[in-house]
Amino acid sequence: MPIQTSRSHDGQTLIIRIEGRFDFSTHQAFRDAYEHGGTDVRGYIVDLAEATYLDSSALGMLLLLRDYAGGDNASIAIENCNKDVRKILTISNFEQLFTIR
Amino acid sequence: MDEPGAENGPLKILIADDSDSDRLILKTLLKGLGHDVLDAANGRDAVRLFQSGAPDIVMLDALMPAMDGMEAARQIKRLAGERMVPVIFVTSLTEAGDLAQCLEAGGDGFLSKPYNRLMIKAKISAFNRMRLLHQALSRQRDAMRERNRQLLEEQHVARRVFDNIAHTGCLDAANIRYHASPLSVFSGDVLFASPRPAGGMLVFAGDFTGHGLPAAIGAMPVAETFYGMAGKGFDGSDILREINQKLARILPKDMFCCGVMVEADFAFNQLRIWNGGLPDGWLVRSSTERYSLPSLHLPLGILGADQFKAEMDVVRTRPGDRLLLMTDGVLECSDAAGNLFGEEGVRLALENAGNEGHPFDALMRGIEQFTGQLNFGDDLTLFCLEMIDEAGLAVLPDALEPSSLAGPTEWTCEYEVRERTLGEFSPLPLLFHICMEVPGLRRKSGEIYTLLSELYNNALEHGVLELPSEWKYTQAGFDRYYEERTVRLGRVGGHYIRFRFHHKPVGPGGRLHVVCEDSGSGFDFRNHPALQSAAVAHSGPRYGGRGLVLLKRLAESVRYYGEGNRVEVVYEWCP
Amino acid sequence: MVDTPHLDEEALAELQDVMEDEFGILIQTYLNDSRERIDNLKAAIREADADAFARTAHSFKGSCINIGAPRLGELCRDAEKAGLENRLNDAAPALEAIETEFQRVTRALESLMAGDAR
Repeated sequence: MPIQTSRSHDGQTLIIRIEGRFDFSTHQAFRDAYEHGGTDVRGYIVDLAEATYLDSSALGMLLLLRDYAGGDNASIAIENCNKDVRKILTISNFEQLFTIR
Repeated sequence: MDEPGAENGPLKILIADDSDSDRLILKTLLKGLGHDVLDAANGRDAVRLFQSGAPDIVMLDALMPAMDGMEAARQIKRLAGERMVPVIFVTSLTEAGDLAQCLEAGGDGFLSKPYNRLMIKAKISAFNRMRLLHQALSRQRDAMRERNRQLLEEQHVARRVFDNIAHTGCLDAANIRYHASPLSVFSGDVLFASPRPAGGMLVFAGDFTGHGLPAAIGAMPVAETFYGMAGKGFDGSDILREINQKLARILPKDMFCCGVMVEADFAFNQLRIWNGGLPDGWLVRSSTERYSLPSLHLPLGILGADQFKAEMDVVRTRPGDRLLLMTDGVLECSDAAGNLFGEEGVRLALENAGNEGHPFDALMRGIEQFTGQLNFGDDLTLFCLEMIDEAGLAVLPDALEPSSLAGPTEWTCEYEVRERTLGEFSPLPLLFHICMEVPGLRRKSGEIYTLLSELYNNALEHGVLELPSEWKYTQAGFDRYYEERTVRLGRVGGHYIRFRFHHKPVGPGGRLHVVCEDSGSGFDFRNHPALQSAAVAHSGPRYGGRGLVLLKRLAESVRYYGEGNRVEVVYEWCP
Repeated sequence: MVDTPHLDEEALAELQDVMEDEFGILIQTYLNDSRERIDNLKAAIREADADAFARTAHSFKGSCINIGAPRLGELCRDAEKAGLENRLNDAAPALEAIETEFQRVTRALESLMAGDAR
């Protein structure tokens, strides 16, 4: 599976791990991941350690997650980006919307 | 073409065998299975029967007189064209080489002698399934082809509609070079350029997420907003705010538009730029001296109006400097091995340009060499603007059409902005719009806009904000000037700027009086060089000095009153 | 080859089943066809045309196998091979063997038909 979910130790954060290409082909799986993540989720971590590529439709999916998670009140961190992925997030200035670590 | 659809329905089968007894057996067998049979004793008759009888399946003996089975198979396959007609060789050949020849001639399979009823039944039904599958696929393919053709046609129609709204503006100006695919709007790229009423240009390059119709639909309001507002004299920030708000409202959450807005002021030799999500733009001075203009903002259509930041950065330029803008497609060009052109590719191409080469050509050549393609880039946009003396620009077309209505000729009007509004709102487009109601003044839109904006900017920057124009003479001071302007605008209070207009007809033309008064402390207009003599006025620096030189050149008279915080300008026009 | 039967009873039974009333016509057609082929083989030897000899033997072989005369089919195969390898010297004895076997097959089929008619 290119997308796997788990909970943090305290159980309050949903961790979504993406493997390989994060693009339109993962649209449905990514959406399922957060929509079926449970109602008690307080925050989200998108772990891109195993993601090799990210395109603009992935940026769109991140915006959808942000909207789902409460828009301006959403708590979403994007973690472990490789250099290329980081670059794309930087050009789009997504650090203004997400915590990027 | 008759199409026995059912898998077990009767088929029309053509058999050819020179052996009468073999043919009789096969024919009887096939009839026994419920099929219609056409039979021939040699290849030539078989081809003839194929043409007249249009069978569903053909069974050929390999060796026959007159024309052998291989040649018959070749001809039959050629006649069948795209239609799938299985050709089965009935043969007692056993050599692998002979069998291979049958396949090469177009045979789809074999049936060996002696005939076996069950085997024949199974073969016929297998090949019929293959034939039906092929038919279904062909139908689907044809349907898709047709759909695709319709889609392309629709795109062309849509493109024409789009072109009427998003015309190329002043992209044909002598100091602009660009590459954009003819159907790039469906790849999500947009490129607009418009002259500004007071001179200079506005440019917008954008890249929508997604492709096809959704991207094109988003592009429409952007085009309309850009051209509509640019023509009315709004500045880049205003237009960005409007576009952002519009896109945030109409686009789905996961769609947005990366873009760069550029205000080019050739007279002042400065660019104002806002980059939200596009690759670095470049200001190229020479092959060794260039400055990146990175994305500092979120793309358009994401943030709400309260969070969106539309402030543009000021870049000083020199005549001959070139501004390069590009969309993602440039960085995403790939070579045969799948390597991306990337920022490194851009850097190398610009370095290789040398001082003589045009950076636009250098980059295009770089992409061409890298991808190995001459017509690359269905989804890339590359734009280059050269900073030149404005006088070198051919007169840009007047965007405003003359009204068919007579319009007002005798009127007065007073408009005042006060307090916080001074920091948040520019009354220029509105004032400009009021003046443009006079039909004859429409033809002078550039002069009127310049006049109004000089008056307003003087009142605001020097009168209200008390920014010294001397700062603009040095690079450091220039930066400080604009930083300070933003700071002071943010805390402006207790001030006003008031405009009074009076227009009346004079002969076939008219006279426009404009009085502009501000609440600032004024200035020593009695000793200002530009107001003293024509000689000084023409030798002074082009910018700074309250733009008085420009005002004096445009207007019949420019008079200061009071402490220098009230100025009266008379502008006369004839058709 | 000695083991190969003159007639394949099983194959013939199936043919009878398939052809029903036309079985007799099929046998007659086969016998007529075969006589014509033997004439053609003779002509090929006369004209020293190894190619025509091989082709005719090949077709003859196919119909023999189909009708249920496997031994005659094998003799035809030997003849085809001789023709293909341009061994015209071997063609005459091969044809001789074919003619002898064909006489035997003809008798057997005719008696089968006679028996069938009873």
